[in-house]
Amino acid sequence: MSEEKMMQIFIMGKAYDVPVGVTIMDAMEYAGYRFVRGAGCRSGFCGACATVYRKEGEYRLEFALACQEMVEEGMHLTQLPFTPAPRSSYVLSELDADENVLLQHYPAIARCVSCNTCTKACPQDIEVMDYVQAALRGDLKKVSELSFDCIQCGLCSMRCPADIKHSHLAQMARRLYAVTQSPEPDHLKTRMSELAEGIHEVQLDALMKMNLDELKKQYAARVIEAEGEES
Amino acid sequence: MNTIPYFPGCSLKDTATGFESSAQFVMETLGLRLQELERWNCCGTVTSLTTDDLMHHLASVRNLVRVQDLHESELVALCSMCYNTLARTAQRINADPVERDKINQFMDRESSYEGTVEVRHLLQVLRDRIGWETLAQATPITLEGLKVACYYGCTLLRPKEAAIDNTEKPTIMSEAMAAAGATSVPFPFAGECCGTYQVVDRRDLSIERSFRVIQSALRAGANVIATACPLCQHNLQEAQKELGHVQGLADIEIVYFTELLAAAMGMDPQRLPEGLNVLIQQTAEAQTGWGGS
Amino acid sequence: MSQAIAGQLQSGYPAAMRESIAKVEATRDRRLKEGPRNAMSAAQRTQVLQEWHPDYKADKKRAIQVGPSKGERMPHEVADLLEAYPVVNPRKIDLSSPDIEVQILILGGGGAASVAALFAHEEGIPTKDILMVSKLRHGDCNSIMAQGGIQAADRETDSPASHYIDVLGGGHYTNNPELVKALVNDGPLMIDWHEKLGALYDKVDGQYLEAHGGGTSRRRMHSAKDYTGMELMRVIRDEVRNVGIPVIEFAPAVELLLDKQGHAAGAVLTNLETEEYIVVKANATVLATGGFGRLHIQGFPTTNHYGATADGLIMAYRAGVRLIDMDSVQYHPTGVAYPAAILGQLATEKLRNQGAEPVNAHGDSFVFPLEPRDVESAAIIRECYGNNNGVSTPSGIRGVWLDTPMIDAIHGKGTIKKRLAAMWMMWHRHDIDITVDPALVFPTLHYQNGGVEIDADARTSVPGLFAGGEVAGGVHGKNRLMGNSLLDYNVFGRRAGISAAKWAKEHAAKSPTLKHIEAFSADLESAGIKTDRKAPIILPDYRREAVLERRLRILT
Repeated sequence: MSEEKMMQIFIMGKAYDVPVGVTIMDAMEYAGYRFVRGAGCRSGFCGACATVYRKEGEYRLEFALACQEMVEEGMHLTQLPFTPAPRSSYVLSELDADENVLLQHYPAIARCVSCNTCTKACPQDIEVMDYVQAALRGDLKKVSELSFDCIQCGLCSMRCPADIKHSHLAQMARRLYAVTQSPEPDHLKTRMSELAEGIHEVQLDALMKMNLDELKKQYAARVIEAEGEES
Repeated sequence: MNTIPYFPGCSLKDTATGFESSAQFVMETLGLRLQELERWNCCGTVTSLTTDDLMHHLASVRNLVRVQDLHESELVALCSMCYNTLARTAQRINADPVERDKINQFMDRESSYEGTVEVRHLLQVLRDRIGWETLAQATPITLEGLKVACYYGCTLLRPKEAAIDNTEKPTIMSEAMAAAGATSVPFPFAGECCGTYQVVDRRDLSIERSFRVIQSALRAGANVIATACPLCQHNLQEAQKELGHVQGLADIEIVYFTELLAAAMGMDPQRLPEGLNVLIQQTAEAQTGWGGS
Repeated sequence: MSQAIAGQLQSGYPAAMRESIAKVEATRDRRLKEGPRNAMSAAQRTQVLQEWHPDYKADKKRAIQVGPSKGERMPHEVADLLEAYPVVNPRKIDLSSPDIEVQILILGGGGAASVAALFAHEEGIPTKDILMVSKLRHGDCNSIMAQGGIQAADRETDSPASHYIDVLGGGHYTNNPELVKALVNDGPLMIDWHEKLGALYDKVDGQYLEAHGGGTSRRRMHSAKDYTGMELMRVIRDEVRNVGIPVIEFAPAVELLLDKQGHAAGAVLTNLETEEYIVVKANATVLATGGFGRLHIQGFPTTNHYGATADGLIMAYRAGVRLIDMDSVQYHPTGVAYPAAILGQLATEKLRNQGAEPVNAHGDSFVFPLEPRDVESAAIIRECYGNNNGVSTPSGIRGVWLDTPMIDAIHGKGTIKKRLAAMWMMWHRHDIDITVDPALVFPTLHYQNGGVEIDADARTSVPGLFAGGEVAGGVHGKNRLMGNSLLDYNVFGRRAGISAAKWAKEHAAKSPTLKHIEAFSADLESAGIKTDRKAPIILPDYRREAVLERRLRILT
């Protein structure tokens, strides 16, 4: 911002003046914090900077990623950089994709009281409770679709009164859905067997023997395939 | 002096201190001291934990909100248990603005429930919105000769506020069957409990109850039982499997009432239970005098 | 967004930028009808690169004075760290009884490290004999942030040979052909592996949705919405956890260990929370520490994760490994230029491969949207600072529009929200709806093209030291194409894991030493380098000067 306007926020209860118009993460660094935990990709993909805050005069807790959310005047915040959420290990190829498989690995989902607190804690706006409900029904497709944008920050699990481990549950559901209901295309299998036969290696070896001019000619002579979506 | 562990409770510490002090005096006099628990909390009588069971209705209310989001005012359920749960919640919350407010406050930033959604069972929709005559006209394949025991179980009929028909003498499912050309046979256990969730830890109990339901239908001369609940269906079928050796028990088909209607409307038999197809065919053959006799 | 700011904005943009958006809207229908401009000729590409690409500014680099790449030119930010003294004093580290002994030590917590761990295990190394150590959390890495996709030549009309030519031409023929061959040949293999792990690639009617990337001749970009990197990383990480390979987080390596023969023998780590050092002795060491984006070469903002500070380069260099192609840096053509709060964050190339076109302040297109990245970046810089057709932001930065509403216009309403959910969300958080308005972009520091020299088996010149992923150079030459970094970490992570396993089974590490560190420091001194710079730096420091100046280091 051209003229730096300032405002007051509270980091773990302590007041700091920080610039208007920056993210929570930048504001904390401006205040003098150097992150070890609580910062990761800094672009909203890794879930390292899960943050809980309350706005001045409000009773509610709000949830956000520090690298994505802007600071606001009077914000009271703390980070939750770690979620002690146990996961259930499994051998993917040995799982039965029946309607009870998720329930067997994560029995706590049966305790869901539909309070929807998980959904309200999600910084990715995922309908978390809806996918837990889908998991109860064994609907792998629905869990996969609803949970796909999950960055596994753990805020839902920190809020859940039923101690459900949402992100692990959804991860298992997506992998199981992928291997059972989203099969590998045939053309990939064909290419795999061609590669095993070494057909393509012959072509590659020929290219590797070319000198720079020949390679440049090859590059210039490329026919660019038309845009399109069907594969 | 002898002592006895003593739970005072909240009132005795503020509005009823005289109660406590006098009791303590009496007991000390008698040589048995009231020894207050070192650590205690509310006995549990506060409204939120006893009479106010509103939280249990949250899941139902949210489903009603989904209907409201569609600008609709009616929701139909098939499973009788779901129907019952949703209908009772709707009745209660629709009628009580104070409770509605409490739930809405808890849901906070979600859409508030306005109390405008009515929950119906599919049988009600068939009766009240479609009508038996229309249903009859839509069932070209007659189920004539089929003897159906219409099994209601508990949750379509009880409690009275949620009943889809007369609690003691329901006819709604029979009327649906009649529209499809089937004969329904009255049987005394039509409204008895199948054993419901007891199947989880008292399977013997649910088997016994379900067995009596099937036996009652058999004695009334039925060759098929129509149900409206996955749990009833499961329990009846479990009993059938377990006690199949009992005379005649394995001979009765247990199907959803909608499967009978669908068969009468010509749904692909491959999508219907195998046993039902066989029964319908045998009945039809018996009716026309082919084979059989 | 705070009210103070929001008050002056209309749907996320100030009035001055809105005026330019109106011009973009005015030309959109015509541009949609006409289609994109033609790609540049080889000569045009060379010209724009030489005149406008940051790599071609001679004063931003210098020749390194010590070590195996002595005399080679590198950005000052890299040279400063290579010509810096160790953070540990070798004499104060007790190497006599290592804290941990394993067969394979994997340095890194990202894609390459995780893939290496899984394949080392598959090659027969028990999980207890493998150790992954990560600077941040397992999965805090650039791999998880890659959005657009992963290339692999698996369609009938495509071939590894076509992929090879694309990679080599895109890299200006500076790539190591052996590495390129490995990259393209293993492509389908890795996709097949991901399928078996249960990664959810975008499919339509059971077939992959494959798109072009900048500089590709075939549509071979596989995606998982615009969360491709995240989907792969979280699936692979989940499998590492399933298999039970131990991972120590917040414990980066600060120096490699070598034995008397000069073979890799493990590393010295530091627990970032307690600041203790941890000595790990290992038969084989895999370097998968990623790149250098957080060095902010030439002051550019970066798309990179917090820990991308070139530690692996520094450690390997001191151990005697040559660095190659360090003179070239990848600037992603489209980093966020507005709003300032997310400056430099990635606007995936997938936006362009789905039809969004770069457009200048007047609403005119000025470049083919899918040139190789260095060319596209140079063209955008030229448009802003050569032709003065950029859009200025309130914080004084220039950028060009990426006309995102074209995507839904071409593919149908809802396409952005479905295929570019992460992008939609990123701008939505700042009140900008990219289905309605274009987004302002400018090149951002994205990728370390060069790195540690390896061969096709991911071996470095130090026996027992293997490397894969962004830390290694040679695969992409002086310019990487979109979708080849995810492929790179898979292919070379796998090869590093397998090679390390084979080596570890046959070579037991001897007593580890830090003699090479002492020798390197002596070289620095004899080259006359007097500095208090120390490396590796582990994490960048974004604290404000005013705070740092007033620090009392009482607790240190």
